[in-house]
Order: sequence, then structure tokens, then C-alpha cells
Amino acid sequence: MTRKYWKGLEELKETPEFIKHKEQEFPNQQTVEEFLSDEKLAETSTARRDFLKFLGFSVAAATLAACEAPVTKVVPYVNKPENVTPGMPTWYTSTYYDGNSYASILVKTREARPIFIKGNKDFGFTKGGVNPQIVASVLGLYDSERLSQPTAGGANAAWSSIDKAISSAVKSAKSVTLLTNTVISPSMKRAIAEMSVSLNGETGSKFQHIQYDAVSYAGMREANMSNFGARMIPSYDFSKAKTIVSVDADFLNSWLLSTEYTGQYALTRNPDAEWMSKHIQFETVLSVTGSNADYRGMIKPSEQAAVLAYLIKGLGGNAGVASDLNPSAKLAADQAIKALKKSKKESLVVSGSNNIGVQQLTNKLNNMLQTYGTTIDLSNPVNLFQSEDAKVAKLVKDVVAGKGPDVLLMMDVNPVYTLPNGDDFAKGLKKIKTSVAISAYADETAALCSYVCPGFHALESWSDFEAKAGEYALSQPTIRPLGEGTASALESLLVWNGKATRGGKDSSVAYDYIKATFAGKFPTADFAMAIHNSVMPQAIVPSTLVYADAKIGSLPKSAEWEVSLYQKAGIGTGANANNPWLQELPDPITKVTWDNYITMNPVDMKAKGFVTTYDQEHGLNLTTVKVNGKSVTLPVYPLPGQALKTIGIALGYGRGANGEKIGKAAFQTKEYGGYELNAAGNRMPIGANVYAMVASGATFEYAGAATIGSAEGVYPIAATQIHHTVMGRYSIVRETTLDIYQNKDRSAFNPPHTLQKLDEHGNHVEAPMSEFDLWDAHPVEKIGHRWGISIDLSSCIGCGTCLIACQSENNVPVVGKDEVRRGREMHWLRVDRYFASDEEAAVGTRKDKDTFSFDKAEYAAENPKVVHMPLMCHHCNHAPCETVCPVAATTHSNEGLNQMAYNRCIGTRYCANNCPYKVRRFNWFNYPSYKKMTEVNPAQDDLGRMVLNPDVTVRTRGVMEKCSLCVQRIQSTKLSAKKEAREIVDGEFATACSDSCPTNAITVGDWNDMKSLIRSKSENDLAYQALEEVGVKPNVWYQVKVRNEENDLLSKLQVEKHEGNKHH
Amino acid sequence: MEISRIQLLNRLKSVAFVTLTLGFVGLTNFSKAQGEALFKSKCATCHQTHKNSTGPKLFQVRDKWAAGKAKEGSIIKWVNNWQNAVAADPYAAEVSKWSPTAMSAFPDLKPEEIISIFDWVDAQPDPAMATTTGGPAEPNSPLTPEEEEGSVGWIWIVMGVIFIVVILAVGGVRRQLKIATSDNPEHQEKLTYGEELRTIAWKYRLWVGLGSLVTVIAVIVVLFQGLYRINVMEDYQPSQPIAFPHDRHAGVNGIDCKYCHNSVTKSKSAGIPTVNVCMNCHKQINGVDKPFEGEIQKIYAAAGWDVSSGAGKYTGKTKPIVWNKVHVLPDHVYFNHSQHVVVGGVDCKQCHGDMKVMNEAVKVQPVSELNKIEGNVQLTKPTLTMGWCIECHGKKDVKIGDGKNAYYDEIHRRLKKDPALYKKYYQDGKVTVSELGGWECAKCHY
Repeated sequence: MTRKYWKGLEELKETPEFIKHKEQEFPNQQTVEEFLSDEKLAETSTARRDFLKFLGFSVAAATLAACEAPVTKVVPYVNKPENVTPGMPTWYTSTYYDGNSYASILVKTREARPIFIKGNKDFGFTKGGVNPQIVASVLGLYDSERLSQPTAGGANAAWSSIDKAISSAVKSAKSVTLLTNTVISPSMKRAIAEMSVSLNGETGSKFQHIQYDAVSYAGMREANMSNFGARMIPSYDFSKAKTIVSVDADFLNSWLLSTEYTGQYALTRNPDAEWMSKHIQFETVLSVTGSNADYRGMIKPSEQAAVLAYLIKGLGGNAGVASDLNPSAKLAADQAIKALKKSKKESLVVSGSNNIGVQQLTNKLNNMLQTYGTTIDLSNPVNLFQSEDAKVAKLVKDVVAGKGPDVLLMMDVNPVYTLPNGDDFAKGLKKIKTSVAISAYADETAALCSYVCPGFHALESWSDFEAKAGEYALSQPTIRPLGEGTASALESLLVWNGKATRGGKDSSVAYDYIKATFAGKFPTADFAMAIHNSVMPQAIVPSTLVYADAKIGSLPKSAEWEVSLYQKAGIGTGANANNPWLQELPDPITKVTWDNYITMNPVDMKAKGFVTTYDQEHGLNLTTVKVNGKSVTLPVYPLPGQALKTIGIALGYGRGANGEKIGKAAFQTKEYGGYELNAAGNRMPIGANVYAMVASGATFEYAGAATIGSAEGVYPIAATQIHHTVMGRYSIVRETTLDIYQNKDRSAFNPPHTLQKLDEHGNHVEAPMSEFDLWDAHPVEKIGHRWGISIDLSSCIGCGTCLIACQSENNVPVVGKDEVRRGREMHWLRVDRYFASDEEAAVGTRKDKDTFSFDKAEYAAENPKVVHMPLMCHHCNHAPCETVCPVAATTHSNEGLNQMAYNRCIGTRYCANNCPYKVRRFNWFNYPSYKKMTEVNPAQDDLGRMVLNPDVTVRTRGVMEKCSLCVQRIQSTKLSAKKEAREIVDGEFATACSDSCPTNAITVGDWNDMKSLIRSKSENDLAYQALEEVGVKPNVWYQVKVRNEENDLLSKLQVEKHEGNKHH
Repeated sequence: MEISRIQLLNRLKSVAFVTLTLGFVGLTNFSKAQGEALFKSKCATCHQTHKNSTGPKLFQVRDKWAAGKAKEGSIIKWVNNWQNAVAADPYAAEVSKWSPTAMSAFPDLKPEEIISIFDWVDAQPDPAMATTTGGPAEPNSPLTPEEEEGSVGWIWIVMGVIFIVVILAVGGVRRQLKIATSDNPEHQEKLTYGEELRTIAWKYRLWVGLGSLVTVIAVIVVLFQGLYRINVMEDYQPSQPIAFPHDRHAGVNGIDCKYCHNSVTKSKSAGIPTVNVCMNCHKQINGVDKPFEGEIQKIYAAAGWDVSSGAGKYTGKTKPIVWNKVHVLPDHVYFNHSQHVVVGGVDCKQCHGDMKVMNEAVKVQPVSELNKIEGNVQLTKPTLTMGWCIECHGKKDVKIGDGKNAYYDEIHRRLKKDPALYKKYYQDGKVTVSELGGWECAKCHY
């Protein structure tokens, strides 16, 4: 009937472990016999009599404690700030920029502390687009290992003495270098220019400013220099592209301004719109972007040029480069040529390579298609990623050679960690006379500097931005600085240049300076209004740049085995490695948490003798990979879709390798709490740092030749992939092609579930599911509200932003790697990733069922299609969980919600056992106090606790919890409507997941409102309900995934069914 | 238990106060009573009897005007509209130079009413001179921790033990006497105390059996009642750092509850007044007599208001007031004040009692007290328990479909689509909160 969907190779092959675990919702239960026969039991320290004493004492203590209510203190403000109402949230507009992602955001504060971040859909060119890192950044504010005092030589020091020392060092030095990440702040640029003028005068060369990003895009800028004569990166508009060809650019996850591109991309993926884009991806590691592509070619990193050359050739050009392709890539490339020929200038070709030559070929192809002026805008260049690789390379060489500048000022960079030769740089750094780091943590670089000057967190400071030409934006503080001795980086620069004096904790130096910059830029504009909107439109000068062919630079060389270094959705470049939410975010593709690994195609793994299946007891093989003379040992993860003879390793891991204080959650923890320590007594980092494998030629390149060792033992992996299986009910995912959707009726691509019944004549007839009811219906139809969710599988890209937003909104605890490995992660919302093979689903119904095996799906398993499916509580109107609760702790509301009363729950777990969607989570421990989670759960930290949402209960041990459909938000939406004596406006109510979704894939609303979007979505032809045949009548709808592909097999499977078309 | 003792003391105190006040009122004439009421409602915001504040002190002000050679009746004209008086009388013009502000006009006051105010003011003793006796009742001083920890409970236990010992001793003596006076020597050796008891118990076994049954049942009932009282906050009355008289603010001065608890209409919490709200009035009103002055000084200390130098100024050294929370909701429950006050139109009195007459530190009013208040929904379960909440939700009606709230009108329209359910809801002539989902778990628990 439809494709076969599988979550992992274990499921596809039905390994014995998989079969065993899929029948157990709560794995690893010991029987009484097993427990008593445990030999270690005799060694336990608690004797029976002691146990009874404890028992008696606790009962007595609990009884006594319950009798007397403690006196609660309440402290009102002395002077209440005007815009704070205790108990009510205050929202601020702001802007997020961490050197790698940029977005216009809204920050929710309660009693003046930020607790939630979402995208700003009304202002800013990112139009509400965010990624998991941005939503999770609110937790970074409350990290207790953030520096609160400036240090000199490792000891706390006063600002006055540090300022004096640095100012005089800068003045008397022969050479001063300022190394920063890309500065997009006009005010910071002005301050740096002032510094340059006062140190260099007109012509001097004492001071130089070098920009250096953890991940460089210099290749793109250099290619544009050769083709256009300007080192710029143009603006891309994916929403206008009918054909999108991406050569290893993960533009939905990490590439360039991905927060802007996700929203644009989603607009083109609507099957009901005038046209739907065709997306062809060529890549090495299966990425978020690749998983959404209509066609996907697997290529080695060195084949990127060949792909582009093949396309140029196919369109009648000549690249002058070899264009031989492997079969998988050829298949996709032919589709690309066909599509590009059709869409011509309404196409877009992007490349993620940092090789100048590859980018030049991309430019050439775009020029052939005449996309400059339609999907690519040269007059609105991107200011992000201005890394100057050549200058950086020279500085590093000088520093390593001990010939570095007298004074090295570093701001928001961590070269010791992110440089390929970071170790050598670290040695050279110690030889520099005066090294200064403006950094929030005493990280790998800052720990070695003579002075560390802690800056503000982004949520504590004023700043301005110009991410693109004409896109001026502001950020404002949402909390008074938490650290006693922190100061704005801008203020520090001004002070050291003698342009300002320190203003203390509530200093207005930076604010005044930014206001002055604003006044210079917009003489007539209102600053307060700009802060209110966080953005300020600006006129753009049309570009006069013209494309000219240039000599193609040197291209990457091929090797037997090649490595590709990529960024994960959660960890990115590693700056947020201390964020436990992001560490526990299952990777969108591999679903692995808390770890770094080597991805390899299972076909290759078998050939090399690695194990390709794993579960909570059976780990994966470790192996050693050598690239550029640097080697790391990591587990090998089987990733279908990985190009053959290649491996992928994520950047951003292995932070704090020398025990630097970069945050509590950045390190490995032991099974019962506490850190794993290495031989030197330092905390063990998570994963390994692979920046050392970055090749540094004309630009930094994130791919190269690799040698791979053999299996070296077994390493446990904590992945959510094998958990919560769906018991063989493959009807949960539905998919079709655009062609079928447009040319056939609903019975082909979205047939209703029917059951047999007897009609009045005693004949068997098929009747829709809605006619069958086991119980009396809840009175939720028509009356009052009925809240529902609709999820568009065509728009969902699987990025995981919703999951982090849910965690942030609903105080979901972090449990740590060991618990995730046991299948006890607590996320209320999970994003299931299904691999799809074009094979019939139900083996039992096949004619050749005796001889059939899914081994034939092996080719498909090499490069499978992917479907992402967010799954949360379905709030079934006939909820199976409600009927089995012995204490009525989970009940149904007349608004269609499946309610969970924590204080009633006694923890029988019957409900979770009975849930067909497996969305209930049990509190196995007291996460806010149990020692096992001390290092990972922010709720156990005095500072980290401040991120908790005061409107949502923090659950305790022994109770069940699950998605509440953000009932706190439903209640507050209703209340504001009632207070204002008006009806609820459709779209007013948003859950955390729908609020943060960058592609607007999640729609929530009142289903009883006939004009609502949710109503129309639930009734259109694409709407279906997961496991509808179970008859639980959920309040969640999905929209069938529509791919813009040609698929004969699927077309044969999905046939229209009409009267007389007999069921077989 | 200790708290309820204090309750008793406080209640005694208030009874004494009422008696005293009644006696005082009986002695004064009607005119002065009217004068007092008028003074408090019209003048007290700016004027004090014996002290200059926003306006000058009013004690013997008529004599002052007479001494200043003001025209006859000019002062009455001044009160009605001071600008008219200024035009007619040079002395009034002199008075009008008083800073900081000009006086409001009171054209509604009749001359005899104005005279009654002055009469009442002149009859007031100067608190600076007067001794503490005879003045208005003392504001309740904050309860000290010693009082709270009173050993009253232990006294009963000790007395009980003594009582039992006495009974046993008497019984023993009686038995000894009986043995001593008995003729039978066998008795003397055989019957111990226990044996004797057993004999008696056997003899009256029916009664003893019945008695034991009753005792056991009684103990179980008491035990369960006790268990049901666990964490019931009724009558809870913690001490407070400032002896704040609600009756003076809400009652005598008629300040609306929402003026100080101003987030009650906006937020889930009603809000403990912030010190800047107190200072709106107390910048001027610094107490008419010693005990009040002391309490108001505590506000000044919190606000950092320095009165030592004339007009007073803020020093910037603030010290937040740490109050003891009275109405503490049980854990895991969400309650929203604005929902009840703005949408439900519930009066504060329904849950907090009549603050206009509450002279003592705030306490959780027992439901029996709340039921006495006119207009309150009559409830039976203890205050601040879940039973109490849902009882009210089951009784209170929601006006839907009356055209006053578009939200409820829409709900009404949707309800009408199901006539059977509509009929069921309106069987008792009203739609209650519970029928609209007010009894559902996730309305308060999430």
C-alpha cells in the first residue's frame, strides 16, 4: 500500500534485541529472583533492621512535616518598575548573533528574568526563523561557570588595575592585534576604527584588526572577488527558486543565514501553491537539508566540482573540469539538469564548500542560469562570516613562531580550540607579552591569557547589528547583569582606547555610544521606536557588480577515504557545548544525544567489520581516524545515506579538554553522578575536537583524505532512535508525490481507514472509522473549544527547534546520557525520523511472503528517503491512557485536552503502557535533586533554576508527565479574551512548538471555530491521523508528506479506489 | 493551635475596643459624629488635627482666623471655594500662599456641616500632650515570636497527667483502705490491682464492651478528622513586620482594595503593595499619634525617606519589607486573581472576608465567617482547600449569552448547537462554572 518506513537498521532487519525491546515500553526491568540473586546485594550497607528503622523514621517525619505549614515570606518591590507586573510576562524585542547564527528574536521575561526565546515574526528579515541553538541560548545566561570577575594572571582583579595595565600596554606596544569573530555591529566597528586611528594615526601599521570565524566562508568571498571584484557574499532568496540545487550546503541547518533560508524554503514546499520547488541535494553526510531533498546524490567531498561541471555541461556549458560521476550522483544530477532547464533563472545553486574553485564553478553555473538578479541579490550583501583566512594563517604562524604582536586582544574567539593547530597556538600565546581575552568563560584560549575580561551575555547587553546591507538591528538587555564584575565588550574597548570611563554594573557607556552611532546613521529617526521594533529599515544602493569568468582555483583532490566535517543542529561550532538542552537534543538525523561519532554508510561498515546495529546494552565499535596527521578515536555510527568510502565527524565537540571551566554540562558524567576524570584529574570532554582535521590552504577546508583503523572495542551510545517504536503500525507515516497529489484523488494518496460491518441486508460493507465507537463520545464537538494540532509533514524539516522550545516552556528536565541510553529521556515532543524504502509495508499481505526479505531494501538503505515527524501527546478523545488510570489522574477535558494531574498520579505507568503513540514520560528520579543529574539538569543549579517557567509545575519522582498542549498558554489566551470581552482570534493561541517553528509546519487552534486554520487543515485532502485505525480519535492531524519527485513504484502502489474496486 | 489562642486574645481585645468605642460615641453629640465622618471623608487626605501636613493643621483654626482679623464667615466661604474667599478677604489671600498645594473646593458642604467639622476637630485632644489612655484604640502591635510559641498546649497535657495521677492515687488509697478494713485475709493476698480491674470489667462486660466500641469509633473519627485538617489553613494568622490596620485604610478612609493590590486585575497574583504605593499617601500622612507614627516610620525606613530635614527627601537607601504570606495556596495549583475579579466579578470579600472591619493582622478567614458576609456564595468546605474552590465553582453561575462579553456570547452560540446539552446545563436556570469546565483538572493543575 505504501512504502516501508523504518527508524533504524535494527528495525529493518528485526534483530533479536529489537524484537525484545519493542515489546517493552520500559526496558531493563529486573525480576524479583534476579534482584535477590544479585551477589552484590549482600555487600550493600543497609541491613534489614536499619532499613526498618529508616522506614519508621521517615513515616514519622513525613507525618510531622505534613502537619505544620512553613511560614512563607513575601517581599514586594520597594519601587516597582513601571513595566513589570508580578505574575505577568513582559516581552522584549531583541536580536541574536553569536558569530554563527543570526535572528530577530522576542524574549519573554517574568519578574525581570528571561525564560523563553522565540523568533520575531513581525520584524527583521529572518521573519521568525530560529534554530535550536538560539532558543536554547536563554539557558546559557544562567550558567554558573560564567565568569563574574575580570582576572589577571588567573587571579581575580579589579577593573581599575586591569584597565590601567591594558591601556598602557596598548600605548607602549610596538604592535597591537585585535582578533575578533566577524563584527557586524556598526558601533563596535566604529570603536575599532577609532582605536585604529588613535594607534596608527594616518599611515601607521601598529594596530591591525583581523576577523576570524570558527567556521570560515572565505572561499565564497574569494571566489566572488575573482568573479565580481568584491569580497562579498550576496543575499539568497530561496522563496523564488523553483529549482534548488545544493552541493553540500546544509542551508536548513547551519549554512550561512540558515534562519532566513528555512522560512523561505518552507514557502516553496506547499503542494497547494501555484508551484512547488524541486530540491536536489548532493552531499557526503546525510544532513537536515539532504533529508528534505526530493533527490539526493551521495558524493565524496572531492566530487563537488565534478557535480557542478556535470551540471554546467548538461546545460550546454564547459567548466573545463572533469565531470565523471558515481551512479547515485548521476541519477540526481540528471534530474537537476531537467529541472534547471525548465526553471532557468528561477533556480538557485548553492555550494557549502570553502574551496575557492568549487565556489567559482557555482558562480559560473548561477551565471549561466541568470539567477543573479532573481534568486541572488548582489546589492544586499551578507555581512556575516568575514573570516580572513590568509591574515589569520599569518598571525597564527607568527604567534607559533614566537613573533606575535606585543599585545593580542581577542574578543569572542577561541582560536586555541578552533584552529587546526590550536595546540601550537596555545604554546605561542604564552609567549605574547600582553594577551587579553574578552570572553564569558575562562575557555581554552582565555585560560591562557594574561587578562580575562568577562563580557556581558547577549541578553544582558545593548548591541547593534547589520547582518546584511540595509538590515540594521538592535538588541537590548532583558535582565540586569548577573555577574558582579562583568562589563560590556564595547565599553572595554572604548576604555582601553581612552574614549570612556568605566560605568560599573549599570553603566550606560555602551548604550550612549550605540545611540550616537544610530543618530549618525539615521539623523531623523526615533531611537525608541527602533528599539521597540528591534530593526530599522535602510535604503539599499543597487549593485553594479557584473559577473566575469575567472581562472578556476585549485580543486580538492580525491582520496580513497575522505572525511567531511559538519555542524550538528544542537552543538554547531561548539560555542554552546555547555548547554545541556542542546547536548540532549537528539540529532535530527542520527537521533544520538550527548556524543560525537564517526558516520559511515552501513555498507562500508560491514566491509570493514564494524557492528552496524546497537541498542542500550550493545554499543558501537570505536575506531581511530587519521586526517592531516591528527587522529581521534570515536565510535562509528551506521548512517544510511552517507556517501560510500567517506566518513563524517561533527565539529564542536571535545570542549574543555584541559579541564577549562566552560560550563557544568560540557563534560562526561559517571553513571551515578559526578564527572569522569582523566589521568590528569581533569573533567573528560564529550567527544573529540576535530578542528585539528581542518585543512589550511588558501582557505580553511572542512574535508580531506582520511585513513580509518579497525574496530577497537565497544562504546555505549545514547540514541533515541530505537525507542518508542510503533509496534509495526506502519500507517503512521503517509507520503505521496506532487504528481499523484495533483492527478489522483484522495483515495490514492490518503485513503480513509475503513472497517468491515454488516449492513441492513446482512452483507459485509466497508465503513469509515468515524462510524465505530467503543465508548460514548466526549462532548467536545461543536461545544466550547476543541484544541487541536495540525502538522504539515511537507514543511517540517526536522530541525528540532520545537523540541527545545517545548523543553524551555514546560520545564522538561535533562536526564543525562546514561538515562537516555536506558530510554528514559523526558522530552514531551520528539521528532521521529523515518527512513523510507520503496517497498511494500505489510510483509504478511505479500504473495511472496515466504521468500520475501527486506534484504532487497539494502540498496535503498544505502541512500534512503527521510520523513521527519514531530510526535507529541495526541489528546485522544477516546484516550486509552485515561481508561486504565486507577486514580483518575489523567482525564479528559471538555476542550478536548488529555489532562494530567501530577498530584493525583501514583505512578503505576499503566497509561504509558497503553498509549499507542508512546508519548508519556515517567519521572524515574527526582530530577531537580537526585545526584545523578546534578551536573546536567539546570534545575539543580541555583542560577540554572532561574530559567524555569513559573507557570508550569516542576514534576517530582514517581509521576507521569506528557505534552499538555501548553495548557498554560491556552488558559492565558482564553483569559485575555475574557478580560477584554472579545472572541479568541484564530492564531492567537500558539504552543511553544508552533510558536518557534521556523517553517510554520505546526498549526494549533480551536477546531470548533469553523473559520480557523486548524479546521480547514484538518479537513483538506492531505489530512490524516496517525494510527487512525486504532480508533482513539486523536486531536492531532498530519498533512501527507508531498515530495516533488518522479516515483513510478509509489505511483503503482498508490491507486485510486472507487466503488466496486474490491478490497483484497 | 497556638495561633488560635492568639486569635482568642485578639478577639477579646476587639470586644474591649468595641465596648470602649460605643461608650465614647454615646457621650458625644450627633453633630460631632457627623463632623468626624465628614473630616475623615473630605479633609483627612490633606489635613491633620494637630499637625501641618499637605494642608495646615485644623485644630482651633477658627480662632486663628479670628486672631488674624478675618471677616466673619470668611472661613466657611474658603472651604466652599477658597478663591471666592481670597477675593473677599485679605486674610484669606494671605492664607492662600500656603504651599505646597492649593486646596480643593468643596461647594457641596453646607455651613453647618463645616462648623460640625471644626467643632469635632477642636474637641480632639493633642496626641502629643495626651497620655495613651482615652485615645483611640491602639493599633494591634505586631505579634512577637514569643507569643506565637506560647506553651499553652503543654499546660493542658501537664494538667491532664496530674489529673490522671491524682485519680490513680485516690483509687489506690481507696483500695488500700478497703483491704485494710477487710476481714477476709485471702483477699489481702490474692487480689492485685489488675485482677481487681479484670473482675470488675468481667462483671460489667456489656457496658465495658459497648464503651470500648464507642471509644474506638470515636478515636478513629477524631483521627480522620484530624488528618483531614492537615494543611488546612483556616484561621492561619502569621505575625507581620508592620501592624497594618486594614480597617483604617479600606474602612475609614474608603480606599479601594485595588488601589494598593493593583495587579489583582491584571495578573494571577493580587500583589503585596509596593512601598512606593504606600508612599503616595504616607509622604503626607505620618501618623496622628505615637503608636501609628512608629509603624509609619517603618515604611519610611523601607522607602529610604528621610523626614529629619523639613519636607523630607529620598536617601536612596531602601530596605524591602519582608511580609509573612497569609494566603498560601497548596502546591501544584494555579490560581489567577484577575480571572476571578475581572471576568468572574467576584468581590474580594468572597474569599478574604470584609477587610473594612478587620483591625487585626490579616488571617485566613474561616468559612463560617465568610458565610456571614452579605452577598457571598455560601460554602461549607474549609477555606483555601480544593473542596472549597470546587464547591464555589459548582454553585456560582456564569452569565453567558447576555451580550456583555463577546467571549461568552460565542460559547453560548456554540452551546446552542446541542439542544440536549443546552437543556441539561440550564436545568437549574443557570450555567455554573463547573459546567463550563471549572471542575476539570487542567483548569488549575499544570
